[in-house]
Amino acid sequence: MSNLSKGSKSNIGAQMLSSITFDETTSNLNASLQSFRQIKKEKLASVSIPTRKTESWKYSAKRLKLADQYPALSTQMSNYQTAYDLDCHQILISNERVTLNDSNIEGLSVKQFLDLSEAETKQVLSGVIAESNTLPFADVNAVQFQNGIFLKVEDNAQIDKPVKVVLEHLGHGMSFPRIFVFVGKNASFELIEELNITADETSEAFINSVCDITVSENAQLRYIRMNIDQGKCKHVGATGVKLLRNARFNSYCMALGSELARHDLHVKMLEPGAECDLNGVCVTRDHQHYDNHTCVEHIAPHCTSNETYRCIADQQSSIVFNGRIHIHPDAQKSLGSMSNKNLLLSSKAEINSKPELEIYADDVKCAHGTTMGQLDQTEVYYLKTRGISAEQAKLMLTLGFVLEVVRAAPIESIADYWEQQLTDILSFQAN
Amino acid sequence: MMLNIQNLQASIDDKQILNGLNLEVKAGEVHAIMGPNGSGKSTLSQVLAGNNAYEVTGGTATFQGKDLLDMPTEDRAREGVFLAFQYPVEIPGVSNLQFMKTAMNNIRRHQGLDEMNASTFMKLAKAKIQQVDLDPSFLKRGVNEGFSGGEKKRNEIMQMLMLEPKLAILDETDSGLDIDALKVVAEGVNALRSPERAVIMITHYQRLLDYIVPDFVHVLANGKIIKSGGKELALELEEKGYGWLGLSDDEEA
Repeated sequence: MSNLSKGSKSNIGAQMLSSITFDETTSNLNASLQSFRQIKKEKLASVSIPTRKTESWKYSAKRLKLADQYPALSTQMSNYQTAYDLDCHQILISNERVTLNDSNIEGLSVKQFLDLSEAETKQVLSGVIAESNTLPFADVNAVQFQNGIFLKVEDNAQIDKPVKVVLEHLGHGMSFPRIFVFVGKNASFELIEELNITADETSEAFINSVCDITVSENAQLRYIRMNIDQGKCKHVGATGVKLLRNARFNSYCMALGSELARHDLHVKMLEPGAECDLNGVCVTRDHQHYDNHTCVEHIAPHCTSNETYRCIADQQSSIVFNGRIHIHPDAQKSLGSMSNKNLLLSSKAEINSKPELEIYADDVKCAHGTTMGQLDQTEVYYLKTRGISAEQAKLMLTLGFVLEVVRAAPIESIADYWEQQLTDILSFQAN
Repeated sequence: MMLNIQNLQASIDDKQILNGLNLEVKAGEVHAIMGPNGSGKSTLSQVLAGNNAYEVTGGTATFQGKDLLDMPTEDRAREGVFLAFQYPVEIPGVSNLQFMKTAMNNIRRHQGLDEMNASTFMKLAKAKIQQVDLDPSFLKRGVNEGFSGGEKKRNEIMQMLMLEPKLAILDETDSGLDIDALKVVAEGVNALRSPERAVIMITHYQRLLDYIVPDFVHVLANGKIIKSGGKELALELEEKGYGWLGLSDDEEA
């Protein structure tokens, strides 16, 4: 275990993101990473904190309300316990302290950013998120991270068990966890990114995470991202994915809301034959907020993307779904489809859904659909004709709406866990 | 008397469909209701099951002496009325098993019985799904989700066998079935026949009645029953068509 907790306070100014100061303590990262941070820092000098006039933050900016001054990151020790049974390799990043349960995994090399070689550093810096110019908070992460986890799956490797990376945040302060994943040619891998945030009512907590992924030729990655957010915290996270020839990427993002939760998922299909299948479920209540921003770039021809997101907002909570498919001029024979279905359970709940298709090639098939609404009365009636009460019918249909996607998750114990969580949450709401 | 319908009138979207329908069904009886398209067959089944899209504009319907039309939809089912839908509804995300378990326990509670324990329920569900010749894996699938037309109809019969209603109404359950599926459906219905139960079969064709022999056959036209008889009436209709009863061929279409 290495202790990487920052001693000094970070400071966020009223307007500019650069006012989140570079931690002045000596960084132990190698020269390339330090210069990367320096470049990002200089870039941030001219970037202001998003407001509601910033298109990509239109519905979430008012939730940002970053504190002028965040307290130092809590030094609370982890007491992490898994909420579901799963035979997996576990990596815990708790308030930026890294714990590897077993680092000796056949076919997989696990390193901390502090120990990266020059070649590995180069890979980290070529990630979608690392190279992005449109995600200001990912740049803040770049300036602030003190360490990170580097996972490299060897060519042709089939990793015996899923790898679970737990991003734990305890108590007050800001944390900047970062993960980089490289899946070698013909390899197959299952990765779970679990956000586990415990902040009480009085904590000022801000979590800013990044996961950058590259999937090589003929390789496959199944990625499960879970937000088990608790209490009053703000979390902004980004996942970037590069897909090479015939690579496959399947994601399952399952989330509960918090004061502010945001996930940017950006997939670039760089070579022909790549496929991605993005699934998401998001359920909010009370005054919670969750913002999904997805972007799929078809850069090479003959790539396929599918996207299915289901959102339920209850009480005074709100959800954003912004899904973009960008088909570049050379990406002929692209197939893209996107479906976003939303359910509002209260008249005060709010969901903003915006599909964006940007198509510059002429021989493509691209479809999108969004629905917003209450429950289907034909379905309610059918259930009632079998003796089921209106309340039970409402609950079953509401659950069914999200379980359809949850049950598609490739790991059964995780699907079971979410089924139980959502049943508890939605049953409580139905009463 | 199990079901007593007197002068029933009903409309949908301000269009009058049932125009004073009378029907009496006793326990143990099987009634077939035939008639041309648009005669009101499906409206009758939906009104009896409690579909709010239809408005009852006159008349009465009592089930075992209770006012059926006054009961909420779910209470009709709990009292023992079952409708096998002409177009069963797909409900992705809700498993057949969960659906049936919730339904069955609601009905049992209403009858003052304890909920069925999980293993007894599973055994029963597996037995019934095999009885309609569907693979047990259908129990875990979403209700009717991605089922073929024939599979949906079998799934309706499976539900009927699970819930053991006092009055089963089959709304064109035979339509779109091949002969093997038709036999499966008929065997299911015949298995349920008993002196305590009654069946109303709404059908377009006589062929179902070769497998489920009715005690009475009624002809419905323009929202009324215009002729009633024994099973030989169905054969006569098959031979002569509805024109024989003075109904236009258009209506038969």
